[in-house]
Amino acid sequence: MPISNNAFVRATTLLLLVGLVALLGIVGTTIWLVERSQGYFNEVVVARETRSAATDLRNALGDAETGQRGFLLTGNEAYLAPYNSAVEQLPELRERVGAVLAPYPQLQEPLAELNAAIQYKLDEMARTIELTRSGDRDTALAIVNSGAGNDSMQNTREFLISLVDSSETRLDIGVADQRSAATALRWVTLLGALVIVGVVGGSAWTVRAYTRELAAARREVEAANQSLEERVQERTADLGKANEEIQRFAYIVTHDLRAPLVNIMGFTSELETSVATLRDYMSEREESGDPKFAEARLAATEDLPEAISFIRSSTRKMDALINAILKISREGRRQLKPETINLAEIINASVSAIQHQVTENGGSVETEVKVARLITDRLSLEQVLGNLLDNAVKYQEPNRPLTVSIRALPAERNRLNIEVTDNGRGIASTDHERVFELFRRSGSQSQPGEGIGLAHVRTMVRSLGGEITLSSELGVGTTFRINLPRDLRSYLGSNAK
Amino acid sequence: MNSGTPVTIVMIEDDEGHARLIEKNIRRAGVSNQIVPFTDGTSALNYLMGDDGSGQVSSGRQLLILLDLNLPDMTGVDILEKVKNNEHTRRSPVVVLTTTDDQREIQRCYDLGANVYITKPVDYDGFANAIRQLGLFFSVIQVPEAD
Repeated sequence: MPISNNAFVRATTLLLLVGLVALLGIVGTTIWLVERSQGYFNEVVVARETRSAATDLRNALGDAETGQRGFLLTGNEAYLAPYNSAVEQLPELRERVGAVLAPYPQLQEPLAELNAAIQYKLDEMARTIELTRSGDRDTALAIVNSGAGNDSMQNTREFLISLVDSSETRLDIGVADQRSAATALRWVTLLGALVIVGVVGGSAWTVRAYTRELAAARREVEAANQSLEERVQERTADLGKANEEIQRFAYIVTHDLRAPLVNIMGFTSELETSVATLRDYMSEREESGDPKFAEARLAATEDLPEAISFIRSSTRKMDALINAILKISREGRRQLKPETINLAEIINASVSAIQHQVTENGGSVETEVKVARLITDRLSLEQVLGNLLDNAVKYQEPNRPLTVSIRALPAERNRLNIEVTDNGRGIASTDHERVFELFRRSGSQSQPGEGIGLAHVRTMVRSLGGEITLSSELGVGTTFRINLPRDLRSYLGSNAK
Repeated sequence: MNSGTPVTIVMIEDDEGHARLIEKNIRRAGVSNQIVPFTDGTSALNYLMGDDGSGQVSSGRQLLILLDLNLPDMTGVDILEKVKNNEHTRRSPVVVLTTTDDQREIQRCYDLGANVYITKPVDYDGFANAIRQLGLFFSVIQVPEAD
């Protein structure tokens, strides 16, 4: 299943959210459980305090009673020591019990009763001791015997025992609660940990799947790129082959056309010689009045020479065309030799070739070369420049001095522009493309030519990896712009040959 | 041409028009030797090598071979190779006269032992001129007798 970018973002966000919720849950539950545990602990502390207060009170009362009984039996003051210390502690112990029970309103009444019972017992004990000291031991024993003090003592004891029991129960419950809270905490932590592990695992899986998906996609893109490059190379090679085939075709065709043409021209020439002889002979003959002779003489002196002259001019034209095709096809078959070239040198050499013709008519040529060197085929470049400059001279406006400027400027992507500008007769805008076609010429056909120069130039510029364009205004001038790579080798290299 | 057995010019040229023009212009140069024309390679080889293909027939002949490379049944290069590899014919001068101006082809012909390589000029005046000069060349050239 391909994971789209959106799905991936949604999934990871969801997982992160779940992880966050789990973490928050753990933290919240932990805080809550710790809080509760604290509460249980406080309760346990209170229960323990209650138990100890109750026990201490009971023990103190027991001590007091023991001391009192001992004294009553023996009359010896020494037995009163436990009583005295107990009585001394008692207020504090009673206060402790009171404090422990203070939060429970329902226990206030029993507490009051307890206090009353304790007070009663203490009073009774104090009276009996007083009576014994004063010698009235019998009255004291009678009081003890009455059992009232014993009853109150019994009540007190029972109350305190029940208080201890309840405290103990509460202690047990508190401990159990605390244990269950700890257990709950453990479970919650475990569960949370499981959820987090799950979330982390899920995220890791998602990220891994996504990364894999990305890697696969990247591989695909790379493969597509590779095959695209291969296809481009194949196409380029195909084009190169097709081009080569066309060149070969042109070469073969022109060669095969030449052979019959040589015959036509050769025998025309032979015929011409024969006709010349015939014409000389016929024109020397006297008019005989024979109409057939007159016809034959007309044929020999006018018709035949005229026919031959037409055949001649046609074959000459055909010869020129075949030569043109041959020249271009030969140029296309020529192996280019990239070498480092001093552009200014080449331009100056081309200029000096036409300098004489230009200055003859008061014209001038200026050059501006801002590119020192380039690597290209010297011969092709020389021919291109020579052709353009020849054209500038050939098609100059007769009534103004010719000015030609050649500028070489660097262009982007490691290329350069060479501009050849003249103030010649210009090219009509409808012919801007046409002039580059083979055997096509523009404007008045006042100059001799076959219409191959610019076609040749374009072929050469293209084989150098460049392009030639023109901008021109009729009657004002023309600018040819050649865009060339600075290094022909990079072009030839990319053009799998 | 030299004395003794007269030199025979063997012209192997499939275009009869060319053959005729060549012949005319050679004659114009004042060369009157016998010209034996062939329009295909097979019959030319037959003449040069004999029916048995040994070349024995050519011994004692003084031959000068004018060869076109574009023949209907084989290329002139094949003929050149055979002529230059046969002990009887290898000393006979071979003039390759053809329309092909491919540098590699020219080189190959010289490598195989061609003595002269001439590209037929396209314009007739040039063509006629070249043939006439070739005729003049024939009139001074010394051709050895085949063994």
